[in-house]
Amino acid sequence: MRNKLGLVFFPAFDWAITPTHPERQERLLYTRDQIVEEGLLDIPDIIEYRPRLAAISDLERVHIGIPTIKSLITDAHLVSAGGAITAADAVLNQEVKRAFALVRPPGHHAMRMVHGTRGFCTINIEAVMIEYLRKHYGIERVAIVDSDVHHGDGTQDIYYHDPNTLFISFHQDGRTLYPGTGFANELGSPGAWGTTVNIPLPPGTTDDGLHYIYDNLIVRMLEDFKPDIIINSAGQDNHYSDPLASMAITAQGYARLADKLQADIAVLEGGYSIQDALPYINVGIILAMAGMDYSQVVEPDLDRKKLTQSSRITSYIEGLVRNWQEIWTNREKLRQEEIHKSKGLWVQNRSIYYDADGIMEQQRQEVHLCPHCPGYFSVATEANGPNIGYQSAYATVLSALSCPQCRRQAKDQLSANKKTGNYQYYFLQDKQADILERL
Amino acid sequence: MLLGIDVGGTFTDAVVIQGQQIIVQAKVPTSHDNLLEGLLLALDEILRTVKAGQLERVVLSTTLVTNALVQNEIDDVGLIIIPGPGMNVSAMFPKTPITVNGYIDHRGRRAGVLDTQEITKCKQLAEYSIFAVSGKFSVRNPLLEQEVFNMLNDAYHPLHVSLGSQISGRLNFVRRTNSAYFNAAVWHKFNMFAEAITQALAQRDIVAPVYILKADGGTVPLILAKAQPVEAVFTGPAASVLGIMALHHSCGDVISLDIGGTTTDIALWQDGVPLFAERGANIFSYPTAVRAFWLKSVGVGGDSFVRRQNGNLQIGPMRLGPAMALGGENPTVTDALIVAGKANFGHKQLAELAMKRVANTGQSPVDAADEVLASVCRIIVGAINDMITEHISQPVYKVEDIINAVKFDPQLVVGVGGAVKGLAPLVAKEMGIDSFIPTGSMVANAVGAAVARPTIDITLRADTEQGYYSIPELGLRKSISGARFSLASARELAFDCLAAKAQEINIPQTDMEIMYEEEFNVVKEFYTSGKIILCRVQLKSGVLMPVLGKEVW
Ligand SMILES: [Zn+2]
Ligand SMILES: [Zn+2]
Repeated sequence: MRNKLGLVFFPAFDWAITPTHPERQERLLYTRDQIVEEGLLDIPDIIEYRPRLAAISDLERVHIGIPTIKSLITDAHLVSAGGAITAADAVLNQEVKRAFALVRPPGHHAMRMVHGTRGFCTINIEAVMIEYLRKHYGIERVAIVDSDVHHGDGTQDIYYHDPNTLFISFHQDGRTLYPGTGFANELGSPGAWGTTVNIPLPPGTTDDGLHYIYDNLIVRMLEDFKPDIIINSAGQDNHYSDPLASMAITAQGYARLADKLQADIAVLEGGYSIQDALPYINVGIILAMAGMDYSQVVEPDLDRKKLTQSSRITSYIEGLVRNWQEIWTNREKLRQEEIHKSKGLWVQNRSIYYDADGIMEQQRQEVHLCPHCPGYFSVATEANGPNIGYQSAYATVLSALSCPQCRRQAKDQLSANKKTGNYQYYFLQDKQADILERL
Repeated sequence: MLLGIDVGGTFTDAVVIQGQQIIVQAKVPTSHDNLLEGLLLALDEILRTVKAGQLERVVLSTTLVTNALVQNEIDDVGLIIIPGPGMNVSAMFPKTPITVNGYIDHRGRRAGVLDTQEITKCKQLAEYSIFAVSGKFSVRNPLLEQEVFNMLNDAYHPLHVSLGSQISGRLNFVRRTNSAYFNAAVWHKFNMFAEAITQALAQRDIVAPVYILKADGGTVPLILAKAQPVEAVFTGPAASVLGIMALHHSCGDVISLDIGGTTTDIALWQDGVPLFAERGANIFSYPTAVRAFWLKSVGVGGDSFVRRQNGNLQIGPMRLGPAMALGGENPTVTDALIVAGKANFGHKQLAELAMKRVANTGQSPVDAADEVLASVCRIIVGAINDMITEHISQPVYKVEDIINAVKFDPQLVVGVGGAVKGLAPLVAKEMGIDSFIPTGSMVANAVGAAVARPTIDITLRADTEQGYYSIPELGLRKSISGARFSLASARELAFDCLAAKAQEINIPQTDMEIMYEEEFNVVKEFYTSGKIILCRVQLKSGVLMPVLGKEVW
């Protein structure tokens, strides 16, 4: 059966991080050529949308920029975030059944606290879209499946304390690839324990391994979680030809995943084999999401590649899935244990590196758990970098459902902190009032 | 003296223009069984006033190709495609294709070997004398199409083979394939017509060059049109747009209307230039690469049947006959115009009778007429607004184009056509802008044909990393030396090739313009290893001169 697909195609032909950076003007040129040559834009069930510009307030529903988010971005970021929002609007207004925001720049490495650009990302366009949907359409439960080869550490950071967002990321093992995180023991803070799912895969994993994981694990997680909406962070660097990673997924592997997943909205993330992979993967995903035949979308050089998955990898993946099945089955019990252990406060200290800007950030997060509501959390940050020098900030984040007592307590703590003057900037991100307040 | 002949659905019009004036005009009924008859009738009427030797140029705008397609008087075409991997296209063409293996990729590289056996062994192919061949990315490298072409020639000695890459230099395999198919399908019919017209003109001692009007409003020499007759589809609306251009010097953003018997064709003009259908025209429901003005047709016109159903007024889209005021049996929009005092012909009493038939109980004929006209306006204005919305929300691929988005701020409605005098001002009023109806609008199409500029367009794409450039429309693929080839060199080369082509087919080489260009660096392992440059140039379309809209009956 065919479905109407909204396609927000925005290759940003005039935007690059630097002229020879993987995120450069040329990145979606060959994808444009393939889409146009295939005639996909003439298919009556594929409706192309022009991206709108996101507003700064859309970004601040997610991000806290130091000193301001505006100072850290270019217009291109407003277009790509706006493109994701345009895709979401088209679906929620029921103009189309599904939508694909085939836009750049990407976003899944951008965390809540932003000092600059990391992993090619400044604005987490999926998160901006999801918070827009929550604000404007009352969407609650969201599942994100991140199919980029890199761990979606930005998205994980943003939703680590949110039990209503199931974040599933499969990626090349962090011991062998940027950003070096995304291990199976990163499961969410106690209140949201088990809604962060990391599936690190060994280099050389093929379509077989990926689909084994989907069929035996992800599909059940999605069924159990009962999301109102499914988002695909559709990174394409798991492809066998990608220059930045070492996996062995094909265009067919990606298209079949899109077909099984039936995401409401897909958003492009990475993928840097711009000639040999992206044209085919994107055509495959578009056809699959539109409910059309994608079986003939095959890379011309695939015959010669002889991709097979070693038995070592296969048994590793089977073990990984077994472990996860057990965690998933017992997740409620385990979550209660975590909550009990935390005694109301969960603290995490970590360092975050911004590869593009050479910034090193030290961050402390404190999550205050509450028996009556999702609680609240604070983020204290100090960062050093060649262009920014030293900068620091302290932010308190109130969820839309934080109870009056938590709200009071959070605000008291924030003003007490401000009095000490230990940080340069103080923020209150209040989801209920839908504002980012600078104190 | 320039002669323009427009074979329309009802009438065949001919005009002769000299020094910006219409000096002769003729109108005869279109002969549907044999378009040539009516055409020659109009021509002979002209030749009573003008000597054959005085004519400098003859331009024909004919419904021949459109009619052949609509009436299915076309040849059976052997359609061969080389789609390679991608979307399943087997059911996307007007005819089930024969699929041949082989692939050219997006960089124009040979990525899959042509399977020649399928061509030489396919028994079905022997049944055809006309073929269309189209391969994916053939505009990047026509090699596989040409190999199939050679094989067909050797094996089956066909009358004609249309190649997708020569029909259009632009990306879009499905559109090129449809274009090539339709081109082949009307090739024989058009060539018979071309033969007959050439003879008929010779018999009348007309030695002036003969041009055919295309859907994009440009003209091409008949000899060139014989190879690409599909471009002569939908010339009526194109002639009308050109006629408006000749009769009214538009500047700023304009909406033009051609209000006929049953349809109204709407075009948008940005900064005085009519907008084109970005990817090409649709023939029936098939998207093609045929360049055309961007027109929307709505099913209302002067003869549209008006009735009331369950209390609601219904207008068109069918015509049941002429207006009651002109002896018809059913109420029409024209009757409403007459009753409302916007038109002054026919029997007013009969028009009033018509309006009584559509009036609500207690509604006067004048009020009913106003209600009819308001509905007609709503339909037309609704379509105009949809077009404007579509135009300004056209996808763009650069940040700059999002930030500095195109605006469309119409100031004027320009109208031509039979029912325009009453309706155009109402539409303009509804939109809160002015209207203008050029005199001479009744022969606008023939005027448009007479003064249409000759045009050709070519697409140059250079890939300096691979060291070649190609111009598919010219069947050209040549090597270049990488290092110094820039966008400026591409432009210069494209203009040279365009000028050479113009010279070859004997049309003026003036007014060349760039339609589109882009330039990308190709980066390999973090070093720039070449450039990909695209440059599309054309001989400017439009009209040779303005024409004073004074009819000479
Ligand atoms: Zn990635
Ligand atoms: Zn609380």
